Amino acid sequence: MAMHPRKDWYELTRSTNWTPSYVTEEQLFPEQMSGHMGITLDKWESYDEPYKTSYPEYVSIQREKDAGAYSVKAALERAQIYENADPGWISTLKAHYGAIAVGEYAAVTGEGRMARFSKAPGNRNMAAFGMMDELRHGQIQLFFPHEYCKKDRQFDWAWRAYQSNEWAAIAAKHFFDDIITGRDAISVAIMLTFSFETGFTNMQFLGLAADAADAGDYTFSSLISSIQTDESRHAQQGGPALQVLIANGKKEEAQKKVDIAIWRAWRLFAVLTGPTMDYYTPLEHRQQSFKEFMYEWIIGQFERALIDLGLDKPWYWDLFLKDIDELHHSYHMGVWYWRTTAWWNPAAGVTPEERDWLEEKYPGWNKRWGRCWDVITENVIEGRMELVSPETLPTICNMSQIPLVGIPGDDWEVKVFSLEHNGRLYHFGSEVDRWIFQQDPVQYQNHLNVVDRFLAGQIQPMTLEGALQYMGFQCVEEMGKDAHDFAWAEKCKPEMKKSA
Amino acid sequence: MSTLGDQALNNNNVGPIIRAGELVEPVIETAEIDNPGKEIRVEDKRAYVRIETEGELVLTRKTLEEQLGRPFNMQELEINLASFAGQIQADQDQIRFYFEKSL
Repeated sequence: MAMHPRKDWYELTRSTNWTPSYVTEEQLFPEQMSGHMGITLDKWESYDEPYKTSYPEYVSIQREKDAGAYSVKAALERAQIYENADPGWISTLKAHYGAIAVGEYAAVTGEGRMARFSKAPGNRNMAAFGMMDELRHGQIQLFFPHEYCKKDRQFDWAWRAYQSNEWAAIAAKHFFDDIITGRDAISVAIMLTFSFETGFTNMQFLGLAADAADAGDYTFSSLISSIQTDESRHAQQGGPALQVLIANGKKEEAQKKVDIAIWRAWRLFAVLTGPTMDYYTPLEHRQQSFKEFMYEWIIGQFERALIDLGLDKPWYWDLFLKDIDELHHSYHMGVWYWRTTAWWNPAAGVTPEERDWLEEKYPGWNKRWGRCWDVITENVIEGRMELVSPETLPTICNMSQIPLVGIPGDDWEVKVFSLEHNGRLYHFGSEVDRWIFQQDPVQYQNHLNVVDRFLAGQIQPMTLEGALQYMGFQCVEEMGKDAHDFAWAEKCKPEMKKSA
Repeated sequence: MSTLGDQALNNNNVGPIIRAGELVEPVIETAEIDNPGKEIRVEDKRAYVRIETEGELVLTRKTLEEQLGRPFNMQELEINLASFAGQIQADQDQIRFYFEKSL
């Protein structure tokens, strides 16, 4: 049977706005849920989603995608990635699944909010598909790691991380609640689909797929790049929403939402993806550095697209570029040092060859972070293991929920950005994190970070063991260890001798 | 430092990013044929291939079908379209990547 081309009927079938007579427009689309900023229904009808699909097309394409990802998994089951891959790569998988899989269900909620409360019919239509996309992402990223649970309890954290009070899980939840569950439909379109999904998910799902393919983990590579094909479509809901806002005099509000989402995503991915790309992934399988992936996906592609849509570079542009050179090296050292509190095993990633690579990619690395790693390495070699684990608590940022860090070594630079608000003192890891808080204190003011909770006596007993239990670790096998059991320090011995 | 960042930002690269697999070569060929006179740049990142040109890149279903040697429903491109640079306009007969403004 001949089908009518989609473009002949699409506009008509998705024109589902009507004039409500039993309730007012405001009752049908309350500002708090809709986020329409007072722009009326008729104006939202100019919203034109550039990447369209229909239900029959959606079903058949998604079926193909799933068939592809599952058949790659089935075909490679005997490749024994878990047994054969470098432990650093296995840590990358664990960190990814725990930080991402269950968060996809939050995205289902966000898509659902747009499907119901957006005033733009095209947004509601595409969000219905987006909702199903995100269900797929939640389910498939729980199913794939499940086979490893019997070999390694840390993989159970794919499911458990979001239900725990582990610090990185809190950081992820705080961020996703801020851009998804705690926002109205239009904010979700801008902060989740536009800022996050055309920006950072590209880096995570494609950048990491490049490293995965290089490391021989085609199952993971195929899985996450397949997920990104859904993102590519449903992420296109944000652009037209931005255009409606700009056309109706709301550019400043739109810009602010983008700036907040980008900075928050940046900080979270700096602690999650920065270490996995530049330290955990075996040196010979690194397609590019984290910084190069950031420049490819975020600076060259995302920020460029943002300018095309009529927005500006973020006000913190220079701080952002500086952070891309520095932040994740400090985060990595912190995560490795407090490794007991992670659900994955951080790889130190500082053998002489790796340090040469870091110095090449980040000139000045040795005189900054290298100086600290010299001391850590020497302690490991000398067997002073009590000095390579923490005894104190870090200071945690009240926005990113990640410990405050600075630059060690010759260029020493550590600074806390504090703010007193309603009689409480808040600490932030950067000027931008503090600025975000100031834009909407009600959104953030009641949250306690892990250290706040500790000091408030919510974590008992008040010891490291008590804290680990509070974070959800059920046994010592689940707590992070050095991924290579310090074997890397052996490789550093000759170098250490030379410098001595 | 900011010069490097601004250099990376100030580009007019548009085009599809295709997952490694059977569509990579036909899409590169199609890009060459459908965008005559334009330099098509290809960057292979193993899991994905970046196919780019300046300002505007069009892929038509007709050319893609010729390259594949079989009928092709434009929507099928989505299975392998991991991402794209620029804005997108996706129809059943062609797909277009473009920027409104040239930097």
